[in-house]
Amino acid sequence: MNEELILQHGLTLDEFQVIRKYLNRDLSIEELGIFSAMWNEHCCYKTSKKWLKKLPTDNEIVIQGPGENAGVIDLKDNDGIAFKIESHNHPSYIEPFNGSATGVGGILRDIFTMGARPIATLDSIRFGLIETEKTKYLLNGVVHGIGHYGNCIGIPNIGGECEFESTYDFNNLVNAMAVGHVQKDKIFYSKPKSIGGLIVYIGSKTGKDGIHGASMASDVFSEEDEDEKRPSVQVGDPFMEKLLMEGCLELMSSGLIESMQDMGAAGITSSSVEMASKGNVGVHINLDKVPLRQPLSAYEILLSESQERMLAVIDKKNNHKVREILQKWQIDYEVIGEITDTKRVVFESNNKKVVDLPVEIIVDDAPEYDREFYIPRKRKNKDFDFSKIKLEDMIINLLTNLNYLDKSWVFDQYDSTVMGDTIREPGQSSGIVKIHGTQKVIGASTDCNPLYIRINPYEGMKYTVAESYRNLIACNINPLAITNNLNFASPLDPNIMGELVLSIHGLKTAAVKFNTPIVSGNVSLYNQTNEIPIKPTPVIGMVGSNMDLNKINTNKFCEIGNKILILGKQLTKNCSPYLLQDQKIAFKICEFNDLEVLDLDFEKKIANCVLELSDLKCIMSCNDISRGGIFSALLKMQYKDMGFRVKVPDPIDLFCEYSAGYVIEIRSKDFEEVTSFLTKKGAEYLEIGEIIKEGIEINSKKFDYFDIMNKYRNDFEKIIS
Amino acid sequence: MSFKSAVITFPGSNCDRDALCYLKDLTKGEVHNIWHEETSLPKVDLVILPGGFSFGDYLRSGAMASKSKIIDEVVKHANDNRYLLGICNGFQILTEIGLLEGALIRNKKLKFLGKNCFIKKKFKNNFNLSIKDNQILQIPIAHNEGNFYCDIETLNLLKNNEQIAFEYCKDEFSNTEENINGSIEAIAGITNKKKNVLGMMPHPERAYSDFHQSQDGRLIIESLIS
Repeated sequence: MNEELILQHGLTLDEFQVIRKYLNRDLSIEELGIFSAMWNEHCCYKTSKKWLKKLPTDNEIVIQGPGENAGVIDLKDNDGIAFKIESHNHPSYIEPFNGSATGVGGILRDIFTMGARPIATLDSIRFGLIETEKTKYLLNGVVHGIGHYGNCIGIPNIGGECEFESTYDFNNLVNAMAVGHVQKDKIFYSKPKSIGGLIVYIGSKTGKDGIHGASMASDVFSEEDEDEKRPSVQVGDPFMEKLLMEGCLELMSSGLIESMQDMGAAGITSSSVEMASKGNVGVHINLDKVPLRQPLSAYEILLSESQERMLAVIDKKNNHKVREILQKWQIDYEVIGEITDTKRVVFESNNKKVVDLPVEIIVDDAPEYDREFYIPRKRKNKDFDFSKIKLEDMIINLLTNLNYLDKSWVFDQYDSTVMGDTIREPGQSSGIVKIHGTQKVIGASTDCNPLYIRINPYEGMKYTVAESYRNLIACNINPLAITNNLNFASPLDPNIMGELVLSIHGLKTAAVKFNTPIVSGNVSLYNQTNEIPIKPTPVIGMVGSNMDLNKINTNKFCEIGNKILILGKQLTKNCSPYLLQDQKIAFKICEFNDLEVLDLDFEKKIANCVLELSDLKCIMSCNDISRGGIFSALLKMQYKDMGFRVKVPDPIDLFCEYSAGYVIEIRSKDFEEVTSFLTKKGAEYLEIGEIIKEGIEINSKKFDYFDIMNKYRNDFEKIIS
Repeated sequence: MSFKSAVITFPGSNCDRDALCYLKDLTKGEVHNIWHEETSLPKVDLVILPGGFSFGDYLRSGAMASKSKIIDEVVKHANDNRYLLGICNGFQILTEIGLLEGALIRNKKLKFLGKNCFIKKKFKNNFNLSIKDNQILQIPIAHNEGNFYCDIETLNLLKNNEQIAFEYCKDEFSNTEENINGSIEAIAGITNKKKNVLGMMPHPERAYSDFHQSQDGRLIIESLIS
């Protein structure tokens, strides 16, 4: 086989030699395609596996950890929660609408494949600087795509994050997360149960879209690539997915399915190989039976990433009933093969075996690398000059930075109330939905602090996990488990690899301390163009719960006259990275001081205080303190005609970042009770002011309330148009 | 006598479950869910055509659903002077069937709008009896094609016959435009001439439970039952 062909398939010559030696024969082109699909980063995690193994993935509430279509946790009674986050970065840059739409479609299939009904989606999207027309085009396309798919299928979008930074100019990030509700005794896995079971194809017909998508997702971009790669982006049809979801859920609740696997990245290849591997069995599939949209070669069928398709295993005796249910939902359905005891993956086409490979070589022998990595040098700390900074300028700097403005323009394009169970919509610290027919609620948040992680990957990652944690705590949601999406540049650069390794360690430390295991996740590498890498962006999706929906906190001010208290510990102004960056004091990464070590025990202590005070109904509203400090937190809490009057020793304190930082609103009559509770717990607090009508006052200086609120609420749309 | 009702499900409906819960919780009576391929409809007091993307909104929102088998029965139900409520995609279907005037075109800003909106009643009918004049209701909208349009003659007819049920408005603190999607005369919902068929873009079934942001959606069912 010629070298060029091998390299085109994303395999190294060494990798090819391993295969060649194992088989002791030449490969068919179809077989080469299979290895191309299964041995890339996207499917086999060859770079990250060694490190991902170190993550905590289990505790008393984990029903299913990583390795299935989605993780599942126990929510008492018969309720389980399935969730996962996944990236669609590369396709969304090439074709933002379809790239992001199919990202949502893919993650929803991961959820309902487990037998769970999706009940919420979230996202984490990052773009370059808005000044370029390209970013505007990408932002519009991505938001439209996410909205279109989710709105049409009817799953509420309850939150997420949207940031802009030049590091994403040529590599935007689109990570979509979905959460589903499953009955614990009706969870479905990809492992087939019996030899002789029928392999059935359910859903859209197969076309040419997305051929080689998974290997594209494991590749570095160059600018000329963009047009050339467009045909590799899948096209989504949310209507089809809605039918597929209802059809599959009906099949599963009727007990007609043994196992199910979504045909996502690397399509029929990856789904059938996974099935065989999980069940320690073989599969025999006749490609001539696959429903096609257009004439395709065996090679193309194997690698197509056409959307809205599932592979399932059923008992022969249920064939007729399965067909009947799928006909009602107008879904294509075909028996294409069966489960065998050979432990081999066999595909035939035109009465010829085009693929005949042992499962072992594809899955178990997949490469795993221990790539070289560097640990960043220790930073020398210095003092910055804050003397020229004026309070007015600090406020203007926030109000002219998209990252701080109200992002209603984004989430107003999403349906966040469909299904009728939404409790907190996007724009609050976490999204919250009710488990249908119960009093239980699920809260979720997605976060990342790429600047922190670039400065110090280990500590930075701890801060990122802590931010998700605080987002849930602020709403009185008990954090339970994590899904992660590790977005990095090329791991072949030992500096980048170092960031990957250290941030996984930071994730591990924080997850162990918070008892929030990682139950699912995704890795997206090679996010760089023309050798410009993105900042490390390992996104966390954290899920938590409260058994009583009446105990949830709001993030919005409740009543004029109530007091405002601050909990937590302020980072010094010399060590508040976003303060330094966004107030234009530090510019290059090398200028920043190291992060302060994050005390996770302190995080937990303060979090427990917030949870207890919330249960005592002493907290009227609460928000976490993150980028932009207390000031930004207060802006987000503004509601109706309410504003705030605060006094602090130094106005810069209002813009510094925090560890375990929360703003809480309490009634004057509860002041004694709350403060003596905090004192008893050894939790310091700062009383900084009160809620006032239509005003913003800082250290007796009055600001134009309407002007500030108008800019905060409306300038996002003005800037991006 | 207990209030009976039904919700029709089309392929792509996604607010059918919400509408079923809304009816079960508020009417306390029998509630049926009817698949679009059925050819008979039980005798009920109210039928809801729910929101969603029936048939993927392909061709035109509501166009394909208006040709479903069950529609003949839905029309008979309306002609029998019983109540028919189309919410969002249901409203679009009603205009496609021809039971209601006008059409729903794309929102003024050409973007999907999913947010709280405020409406008030315009002319009295059995769907809004329990709502006071000038009472502002907070109810979510979630649509891409909710911009009500009709020609001037039709508009005059709608006014003269007092067929405009709801119009969009602003509340004291809202940051949204008064006419949220650009509908002609800010129309949010209309009835037929006999006033037993209502189509509206806002979703009352998402604003009735204690945990919802607003409970104003109850008033529509309360009006019908009272």
